[in-house]
Amino acid sequence: MIRSLARLLRMLLAAAVIVAAAPVSLVAGGSAALAWRAGWPPGRLYRAALYCVPMLAVWLAATAVATRSAAQVAAAPYLAWLAMWHHGAAGSYPVAAAVIAPAAIPAGLAAGGLAWSYRIRSMQTGSGGLSPDAAIAFDLRQWRHQARSARARIAAPGAVPLTTRSGDLVAGAVIRVVGHPARQIASIPYARMRSHQVVVGTTGTGKTTLLLRLWAGFMATGLRRHAAGQGRPPLIVVLDCKGGADARRIADRARRVLRLAGARSTAIWPDEASLCLWALPPAQLTTTLVDLVEHGTGAAAYYADVMEAVVGLAVTAPGGPPASAAEFLARLDPGWLAAAYSSAEHQAELALVRSASRQLVDVALRFRTLLRRLGAGLDGPGGFGDADAWYCILEGTAEVSVAEAQARALVDLLASFAVHGPGTPGRAGGDREILLAVDEFSAVSRRLPVWQLYERARSLGLAVQVSAQSWPGLAADEDERYRIAAAADGGIWLLRTPYPEPVAALAGTRKITDTSRRLLGIPVWSHQGTSRIRQAPVVDPDLIRALDVGQAAYIYRGGVTYVQVKRLVTAPAALPTPVPAPSAAQAVAPQRAAPAPRRLPDVGPLLDEAFGTEPAP
Amino acid sequence: MYGVQLDHLAAALGVNEAHARRIAARWRARRYAESARLGPGSAWTWLTRTGLAACGLPYAAAPPALGRLAHIRAVAAVRLALESAPRYAAGGGYWRSERRLRARMGGRVGLREHIPDGEVHWPEDAPVPWAGECWAIEAELTPKTARRTVAIMRELLTRTGDYGCPAAEIRAAAPPRHARVIYLCAPAARPVVARAREALGAPAARIEIRRLPPGAALAPPGGTP
Repeated sequence: MIRSLARLLRMLLAAAVIVAAAPVSLVAGGSAALAWRAGWPPGRLYRAALYCVPMLAVWLAATAVATRSAAQVAAAPYLAWLAMWHHGAAGSYPVAAAVIAPAAIPAGLAAGGLAWSYRIRSMQTGSGGLSPDAAIAFDLRQWRHQARSARARIAAPGAVPLTTRSGDLVAGAVIRVVGHPARQIASIPYARMRSHQVVVGTTGTGKTTLLLRLWAGFMATGLRRHAAGQGRPPLIVVLDCKGGADARRIADRARRVLRLAGARSTAIWPDEASLCLWALPPAQLTTTLVDLVEHGTGAAAYYADVMEAVVGLAVTAPGGPPASAAEFLARLDPGWLAAAYSSAEHQAELALVRSASRQLVDVALRFRTLLRRLGAGLDGPGGFGDADAWYCILEGTAEVSVAEAQARALVDLLASFAVHGPGTPGRAGGDREILLAVDEFSAVSRRLPVWQLYERARSLGLAVQVSAQSWPGLAADEDERYRIAAAADGGIWLLRTPYPEPVAALAGTRKITDTSRRLLGIPVWSHQGTSRIRQAPVVDPDLIRALDVGQAAYIYRGGVTYVQVKRLVTAPAALPTPVPAPSAAQAVAPQRAAPAPRRLPDVGPLLDEAFGTEPAP
Repeated sequence: MYGVQLDHLAAALGVNEAHARRIAARWRARRYAESARLGPGSAWTWLTRTGLAACGLPYAAAPPALGRLAHIRAVAAVRLALESAPRYAAGGGYWRSERRLRARMGGRVGLREHIPDGEVHWPEDAPVPWAGECWAIEAELTPKTARRTVAIMRELLTRTGDYGCPAAEIRAAAPPRHARVIYLCAPAARPVVARAREALGAPAARIEIRRLPPGAALAPPGGTP
């Protein structure tokens, strides 16, 4: 009985204080309700209160000037409060509000922030709420509110730029943060795009939208830095290892998006552009060519050695390395090689040619088949330096073995470009800041494991961005997957996926307070309970499984930022000519037959009329 | 067109120079145009911001650059000569100036990119054999290096997309934008252009070389053009 009376008295006292401080209470209640509705963190209300401080300072300064008394300045809030009640009693509500506003708004916002912070903390620790599942309902509701605010923010024109003024890449609007600074806009520094990143998300979750945004941001910032003399020009190389019509659609989107970001040219390989495998340095060319061919084990190892020797002879022949597939195949002939090494100083090589002459026919046959299947995409003119971005489509779904060989060759070409440059003497290869983005690389990684690609890229100064539809899609085995994820020092982007646990675990755990209370009967709780500190995962796998389209979790340094990704809007594509996706057989056929030259009509009469007749030569 | 000299303005309007001077004065009075003697020969006239707005042209208003006066005059002469040809009128040819092409690109002209001095577009249904074609026009007053000229020719002949168009419209397999390139050369520049055309190989058939029309040269100091 006495306890109930004491509780009633406390409540009455609190109500009296709230009524007495009505202006502050109103602002506090309104701001806390707004923060609840919009899913804001308390910090936002504190900042708003801070922004009102100049208003308070001006008001106090005006009071000081008018009264010339320090006591009057100190008593100004109290006097304003009294004046407010007087005006209110007289029915002058606007005047009453204006009189108290300079003091009440900052104080109310700060009080609202404190109240909202107390509410969040009590729900997180399990010590608040009327019903036992109040904390769970609160969290789910807050997620909905935060997601709605983030969606509204990305829908506002100009609210989410591609990059910030300082060159950070903006991915979208922040939904929620854990262990990261609370911001409205989710941005990552350019330096993180120069490190390795991992992106995991199933089809239809907005993975491509996120990747396009990151690529465009990398291109825009890279070009800006280059123009300011702070860095080298950027180069993006995308290896789409799925292939098919979908890859071509994405390639078209990538081209438009990168164009808007400032890229002058985006080459789509092998549909519209080609690379020259034969531009590799001779030693590297030999290794690449040998690695492109499947070798067996056991007795086949001997055959592999013979092949390597023969390819080495053909590539490093005295006349210089071959310039095309046709020239290389022509060299795989005992007669050609014997003639090339016929001089006196090449006796050892000549002996090698003679001893391998029986296998030469088989070697030539294998390479003829391989190069025919690889297609003209690696046999044409061109290099990575010719465009600002390359979108390479590998038919990893339709023709795995061809795509594997192409992937190997492309990576070797890129590595050579990074080291030696575009073949210009004296021009270092390191003159581009390269981002290599590989999608579903595990489909073609039999010849070149992804972690090897990682290691190689790290040594060459390339940034690698590996994306996959699922954790198993990252690499062939678990060990390799963990090696990739652990080396992602630029962060991990996690979109909705059915099995996020391994990636979520990489974010680590954090300490949270867990409180248990005694329920006397809903909604009455006893004042007895215990609190303990326990470890909880930073990333909630269930939340990842429930992410909506366009929502992503960015995991970095033991924290996570949930982002509503802003889609880049580009100009509509030109109506495409309906070209069927090339089958494997078509993909390896010669790419473009030269169109028959059309006979142009004679314009001589018009030019004669305009500019006079030409004198006879 | 960045600006025009009085004799060319008179030719364009089909009046004599005195009449053209009065017309230019009226434009000046209405603040549509500015006139000044920028170099040898008659005065230059160019549109002000008000004049450009009145014509609906989205260009930045500026007087013709002094270093480009000779080139601007040559291009104007080429345009006038072409537009005065009966076959041009019959075919409904349309001149698209370098200034318009640059405006379409919105200041995003790269260092390596070359913009022709003009384009001539022929309607698809024009009663001329070259209907539907787009020509690039180049006026050459001074010789560049043959290598540079070859590079420009190649770029013009292989370009597929419009200037300032969305990237998706640029397709490697699409037919080239310029069916042919018409070079109008001063005597000094002609040998280099001819050599560059020789070096092109098969595409050389799409290059036409002609002399600049009379009146294309800037008047020598103290003389008349």
